[in-house]
Amino acid sequence: MPRRNRFDVDETLETPFNAAHLKRALVYGKRHVKKMVIALICSIISVLSSLIYPLILQRAFDVTIPEKRYAELVGLSAIALVTILLSIAMVCIRSRLMVIVGQEIIYDIRKDLFEHLQKLPFQFYDDRPQGKILTRVIHYVNNVSDILSNGIINFFLEILNILFIGAFMFAVNAKLSLLVLAGIPIFICILFIIKPRQRKAWQKVSNKGSNLNAYTQESIDGVKVAQLFVREQRNEETYEALSNEQRKAWVGAQYVANVVWVSVENITSWVLGALYLVGVLIMQPGVSFGTIVAVSNYASRFWQPLLNLSNLYNNLINSVAYLERIFELMDEPVTVDDAPDATELPPIEGRVTFDDVTFGYTPDQNVLEHLSFEAKPGESIALVGPTGAGKTTVVNLISRFYNINDGRVLIDGHDIAHVTLHSLRSQMGIMLQDSFIFSGTILDNIRYAKLDATEEEVKKACETVCADQFIEEMDNGYYTQVNERGSGLSQGQRQLIAFARTLLADPKILILDEATSSIDAKTERLVQNAIDELLKGRTSFIIAHRLSTIKNCDKIMVISDKGILECGRHEELLQKKGAYYKLYTAQIST
Amino acid sequence: MFQIKWMWKNLKGHRVRYVIGLIMCAMSSGLALATPLISQQIVDLVLSPPAGQERRLDLLVPLVLFMVSAVLLKTGLGYTQVMINETTVMEMLHNVRCHIFKNLEQQDMSFFDRNRAGDLMTRMTGDLDMVRYAASMTIRVIIDAFTVFTAILIYFLYTDVLFTLALCAILPLIFAVCYVYSKKARPMYADIRERLSVLNTRAQENIAGNRVVKAFAREDYEIRRFDEKNADYRDANIKVNKFWMKYYPAIELTAQSMSIIVLLLGGIFVMQGRISMGQMMAFSGLSLTFANPIRNLGTVLNDVQRFLASANKVIELYYVRPLIVNRVDCHKEEGRLEGRITFEDVTLKFGGHSVLKHINLDIRPGETVAVMGNTGSGKTILTNLIPRLYDPTEGAVLIDGVNVRDWELHSLRKNIGVATQDVFLFSDTIDGNVAYGNPEMSEEEARHYADLAAVDFADRMSEGYDTLVGERGVGLSGGQKQRIALARALAIKPSILILDDTTSAVDMETEKFIQHNLQNLDFPCTKLIVAQRVSTTKHADRIIVMKDGEISEVGTHAELVKQGGYYAEVCALQEALGGEEYAQA
Repeated sequence: MPRRNRFDVDETLETPFNAAHLKRALVYGKRHVKKMVIALICSIISVLSSLIYPLILQRAFDVTIPEKRYAELVGLSAIALVTILLSIAMVCIRSRLMVIVGQEIIYDIRKDLFEHLQKLPFQFYDDRPQGKILTRVIHYVNNVSDILSNGIINFFLEILNILFIGAFMFAVNAKLSLLVLAGIPIFICILFIIKPRQRKAWQKVSNKGSNLNAYTQESIDGVKVAQLFVREQRNEETYEALSNEQRKAWVGAQYVANVVWVSVENITSWVLGALYLVGVLIMQPGVSFGTIVAVSNYASRFWQPLLNLSNLYNNLINSVAYLERIFELMDEPVTVDDAPDATELPPIEGRVTFDDVTFGYTPDQNVLEHLSFEAKPGESIALVGPTGAGKTTVVNLISRFYNINDGRVLIDGHDIAHVTLHSLRSQMGIMLQDSFIFSGTILDNIRYAKLDATEEEVKKACETVCADQFIEEMDNGYYTQVNERGSGLSQGQRQLIAFARTLLADPKILILDEATSSIDAKTERLVQNAIDELLKGRTSFIIAHRLSTIKNCDKIMVISDKGILECGRHEELLQKKGAYYKLYTAQIST
Repeated sequence: MFQIKWMWKNLKGHRVRYVIGLIMCAMSSGLALATPLISQQIVDLVLSPPAGQERRLDLLVPLVLFMVSAVLLKTGLGYTQVMINETTVMEMLHNVRCHIFKNLEQQDMSFFDRNRAGDLMTRMTGDLDMVRYAASMTIRVIIDAFTVFTAILIYFLYTDVLFTLALCAILPLIFAVCYVYSKKARPMYADIRERLSVLNTRAQENIAGNRVVKAFAREDYEIRRFDEKNADYRDANIKVNKFWMKYYPAIELTAQSMSIIVLLLGGIFVMQGRISMGQMMAFSGLSLTFANPIRNLGTVLNDVQRFLASANKVIELYYVRPLIVNRVDCHKEEGRLEGRITFEDVTLKFGGHSVLKHINLDIRPGETVAVMGNTGSGKTILTNLIPRLYDPTEGAVLIDGVNVRDWELHSLRKNIGVATQDVFLFSDTIDGNVAYGNPEMSEEEARHYADLAAVDFADRMSEGYDTLVGERGVGLSGGQKQRIALARALAIKPSILILDDTTSAVDMETEKFIQHNLQNLDFPCTKLIVAQRVSTTKHADRIIVMKDGEISEVGTHAELVKQGGYYAEVCALQEALGGEEYAQA
């Protein structure tokens, strides 16, 4: 069995940092290229219009004020006002557009992620704590939106800024400008030194956060058990340890991340200092003092966009740690999927054939080997055998919840590996052992099987399984709100609701996996009558431990040792005095 | 503000450092103003001195060194400040979440009936992060803005009072706009938060119920439903931005108009000779820096609103008190309890609806009592009162003659082993799950109890008892999960063992084996067994039949069969189903 992931196991990511993640993420941004370009243009206009103000100021200082032109001063102020208004308008447009883009990106990524999750097989969900999946869908996605929307715009803006200022600077004096650029290699060196550390640090943050969330989720779900077994204190210690690890990882990442701006600011001041020294002490009289002033002016402006870029880079590294997790989930292989040549399964009669089926949840351990049997349309088949023998596995294979290793499963002669999953599963009614109830009304929960069912149909299904009485006794009847784990309902009541839900689907093939195990004997008797009625005209597979409930089945299969041990009608098997006989006599003699 | 007071409270032990960090933050903001000033000095003294002044080449090297070290100092301070801040805030966050976790662990069941897991998760993740962000980032932005604003204001006042007052005349207007905005935006941010929580719940339920989703081929429906909430969340975010865009121009315009005021008013003042050209230039140079904190006000306002929406949710969890708590004078017991259970006229109401009515029952130590009854007749809730998961509305439950309300919860629950129908296993090894109630238990001992509960299937797994099982035991069959849950309950050697239909999914042969083991436990134990099968109940010392929250029948198997009530009926039913062989048994 593969090691399942636990809350305290980091999910290590082997792949090195690559630009592919980023490129892939940019696809989401690309959908909004038009909006982003407009936003970029708005930003440029707003930057340019803010450049007008210094010109106005210069005019005022040089001419207007010394010459005491009152009217011109008012005029200049008016122009300044117009540029400000223009700039604000542009910023507003940009902000609106980019919030929309950012939110659309979040929405799209989350949508894709969720849609992919729906395709993933049972196995995927079996192997990892739910909290870890949840964190990615909700929090990680929220974390990456800014870098993919505003981040991109700002990136272009800062690059433009650098080019613009750089060009002006070079126009003034190339030699001095080269001196300014000398800071860049130093900066890049520093980035290269801290980049791997930074990436590791942020990955650690995302890992430890994921562990913490997984444990939180599990603790909330299992709080009742924790209290009953007086484990609170120990769980608190575990939580505290996990919380501490996340805290340390976070602080550790901060130590690295904050180095970036510190180095940029210092490099800027060194460059500026060098510029003064070299300009004044070495290059004299090659350059005028005025030139030095001008270049130093540009130099300090030149490094501001670089600082912004480095902050952007910081966010990027942080976001990539999240993106990696998101894409990892999106890349999770859909092992059970429609075959490329899959066809719609036409309305079925209900013949089920297992043809030499071998299956195991893991490659090294088969649960079923060379299993062959056939169920004719309308037949009822009971599966009995010890717990864990593979009864549930057999019925899971009919719905193709797992892929078989070898052999074929056929329905009406169609290999289920070659029909679409939707057309297959929508013709089956499966009552699972775990009767999960969604939050919502009871009506909604039953309707889950048939979304367009009328209230009448729902009520009828409930009457059939004798659930109508308790439902109507509830405060709001069918409109009573119930919870995810069905709190407020007893286990038996949940089972009855799940049962009604299965019936409403009106399937050709009905699978009842311990459908009545938690229902009281009297209700069960009534339900049993209803089931007998229902089984007519449907192929059914029934798993039950109370052998009394399956006596009347057309065929009883004893599953044990990876295959069918015995098969036949109740009376036949009793006469055989084999495994079934032993089970049956054991049961009635208690 | 209460939210801030609450944060302050949780900073305990780190307050001094936190405040030092903030002071350093102010200092480094102040130093940030100093660097351009030094640069200016270099230009004024060395590079292009005003007409008539000498070029002071000798000052160049000291000034450059001064500038470089000022930046070094500023960034050093800044780095230290950020790290102190992040460290202390994470300490606070750690304290807060550990406290909340502790609090959650102690909440009674009615709390978890009221609050959805998805919402609790949102509070423990996104909301807490918002609090962290406010305590580290937002506060730094505020302090930085405040420092810069004050420093420049002082400088302005020092230069010219009237001019400064003219500049500041618009400030009240900005504050008014901000106030109105904050007030109106608050519910919108609360709304965003709520929608995120709804989204979270939807995703969480989908993940938890993935088997049902697939069984009914409802993937498309799930996608549609999720999509709706996903879009809701997006729209709420866009909406709040749209609203902000109504106020933003006003704030931005007033902030930027400062430079126009400088130009216009300053120009007039200079022309009239009130201030010098140099002063005007200084004003003009600083007016943009002066306006920056005001422009930042918007971001701060939005962050604060977000913080408030989240902090309220977090604080709620921080302070929520469970109804079921230890009394101050509660009864502690280190050793084993005897295991007498007494129900004295117990009535339990949920929302005006009586689920248990006047239950009277006395169970002797060592007795085995079976409970039977209709679905929803109150069997499970009856057993829930014994470990005090709920408190009765009227009457009392006594263990060893002491009201459960007077027992210390831990002494009480340590002596009660419960295995429920709805099995929750932890993502841990099988061994770890069995030893859940006593993690120090040796592996052999855990194996012993695992054997009693027929967890022998673990041997056939590739990693045996070290096999990890997922949450809720996915990957195991229903019967296997139940057996682990039973082993878990037995492993604490309880004085009272409550089995709530624990063997419903276990096959009959195994059940028989388990029944036998239960009758021959190596420790004294009172057993309360909820069951549907007569085969389980018939060997009990006493059988109780529940009907609509009341005890309708009490007696031994033979008595009840004779009595001809519900139990007799069930016996007959199961007999009929079991066929003639059953009668022979």
